[in-house]
Amino acid sequence: MLRKLLVMTIVSVMAIGVSLNARAEGTVKIGAIYLLSGAFSTYGQFAKNGIELAADEINASGGILGKKIEFLLEDSTGKANVAIQAARKLVYQDNVDLLMGLDSSGVAKGLVPVVPELKKPFIITHAATPDVTGSLCNKYVFRIALNISQNTKAAALIAKELGVKKWTTIGPDYDFGHQSWEFFGGYLKQLDPEVVLSADPSFPKFKAEDFTPIINKVIADKPEGVFISLWGGDLINFIRQANNLGFFKQNFKILMSLGAATEVLTALGDQMPEGIWVGTRYWFAANDTPTNNNFVAAYKKRFGDYPSYNSQGAYAAVYAYKAAIEKAKSFEPDKIIAALENLTVDTPSGELLIRAEDHQAVVNGNWGITKADANYPIRILDPIRIFPGKDITPTPAESGCNMK
Amino acid sequence: MTAFVAALLNSFDIGILLFIIASGLTIVFGVLGILNFAHGALYMTGAYLLLTLMRTLEIPFWMGLLLAPLGVAMLAVAIERFLLRRIYHRHPSFGLLLTFALLLIIDDTVRLIWGSGYHIVEPPPALRGAMSLFGVTYPLYSFFTIAMGILIGVAVWLLFHRTRIGKTVRAAALDPEMAQAVGINVPLVLTLVFGFGAWLAALGGALAAPMRTLGPAMGDTIIIESFIVVVIGGLGSFPGALLGALILGGIHGFGGRWLAEWNIVLPYIGMALVLLWRPEGLMGRR
Repeated sequence: MLRKLLVMTIVSVMAIGVSLNARAEGTVKIGAIYLLSGAFSTYGQFAKNGIELAADEINASGGILGKKIEFLLEDSTGKANVAIQAARKLVYQDNVDLLMGLDSSGVAKGLVPVVPELKKPFIITHAATPDVTGSLCNKYVFRIALNISQNTKAAALIAKELGVKKWTTIGPDYDFGHQSWEFFGGYLKQLDPEVVLSADPSFPKFKAEDFTPIINKVIADKPEGVFISLWGGDLINFIRQANNLGFFKQNFKILMSLGAATEVLTALGDQMPEGIWVGTRYWFAANDTPTNNNFVAAYKKRFGDYPSYNSQGAYAAVYAYKAAIEKAKSFEPDKIIAALENLTVDTPSGELLIRAEDHQAVVNGNWGITKADANYPIRILDPIRIFPGKDITPTPAESGCNMK
Repeated sequence: MTAFVAALLNSFDIGILLFIIASGLTIVFGVLGILNFAHGALYMTGAYLLLTLMRTLEIPFWMGLLLAPLGVAMLAVAIERFLLRRIYHRHPSFGLLLTFALLLIIDDTVRLIWGSGYHIVEPPPALRGAMSLFGVTYPLYSFFTIAMGILIGVAVWLLFHRTRIGKTVRAAALDPEMAQAVGINVPLVLTLVFGFGAWLAALGGALAAPMRTLGPAMGDTIIIESFIVVVIGGLGSFPGALLGALILGGIHGFGGRWLAEWNIVLPYIGMALVLLWRPEGLMGRR
């Protein structure tokens, strides 16, 4: 009797499952892979917020060509092999139509060469290594976010204006920190051949916790300018310890390539020093456009905070897919890919163009000087400097991408 | 000269904090025979509990520093009573598996309660700012951490070597059956020792909170460093924890200044050398 009941339950559960699947046929499935656990899980959460918001907005206004968006999230755990498994699962088991995601450059470099095997378009919304739209580029992979070369080009333009000549860096000791310094130094040298780049730059280990030895060293070295590419929890740790040691009262200029990330500014509050040049991939107050104003208001209402750049990137990617599918009038992967090429998308970060040659978005860079403002709980940027994408994006030839 | 003093202060600042945390790890191993993987997670819980006490309940830092580690110690007492106690007589790998599971559970619980964002804790007003010593400007709070570490080190040493409690604990560790036979309540001793180890971890977390960022998995780095400390110093040896912590602090303080590009591998090289030369650790017993 009991066994019979059990069998019946299982059969009915399976039947419900099948009927749910059948109902899901009228949807377009997006598979997203982000960092959802561990020390940097806050970035995955931000991305999830962005996708959720975009999907709900689009679904409320009729979906994409009449199909509702359904999204599935997978945790990359910050490891390339896990992300590759997740992508295969999303495509082969969950039958997603579109892919997006990736927070870490290391993960992106591992996953990008595998994407052609999956035959679905993949939009990268965070990982910034130039390689994925450069030497590793392929037909299926796009990036909608600002990459390292774009952001450091903007930094170099500011550095030239600041006029100081002796530069050093403090950056995390992995690809991102080293590449940031290499690109920043390279651009700055082109703009101003008299510049001297430190032969002994500082690369504290990633998640170092204690930066005091490095801070003491840089102060002792007496540079004229310091380019800082630390980010997230590392940057927060660094700034607090640097405050204690009087780092920001020294006689050098400071550029922080990811200093205007809202999660950093929120955590630091009034401990964020004023008068520092900081950059970000997206700044909520940079564009007075309906798209941005609507995004910031909706985000704030739903999640209670100013949107992080990672939310904006994910939000923009969902809208880019919508625009591409509507342009292609099809859900065929190859047609969506063709439509994404040379597509112009109106995003909260401004209008961007996805280049056909290397699939990198020509997108604006946002920099500004930190300032206290009684109307905001966090330091804001005033003045804001927007670098138009065309001024800071290397040419497709320079990117080193070969689609063939 | 100033660079040397600065590096020395950095070494002590980093080393003493590690000593507080690692001593909890080594005491638990010495008495219970369990290598507690969840030690870093307890460190993190201490910091987050302090955050809640100060932010939500608006309790001053000093009270929080007292209460947060006690809260974590109580949690640890429950863990010992209901989970650890069941595996003492099993193969040591059970202890590793159980505490590793606890690490994952605590990490994710912290994320569920406090979210995945970053937080900071302000140092108390009396300890803000910096102080000059031999021409080096150094944060006042770091001097406080160093003083606290020395105080705790001396107190724990006296506790174990000069009091009846210490004798009881050492007896329970040395020969549990004999201790039980002469009337010592060994299970209670083990419970209290595990609670005490967790208290030290959480105290380290609460002390570190005003200098470091609170974020998910903040205990991951600390547990690795603590393992390095106890391997260098000798597993189960309390003076070894101090020596190991100061050596690792020195590697960070001086290495970070003059051998920065080697700083990731130096602690492991140090650990490997000790394992080759004295596998039982510098102060460990064979």
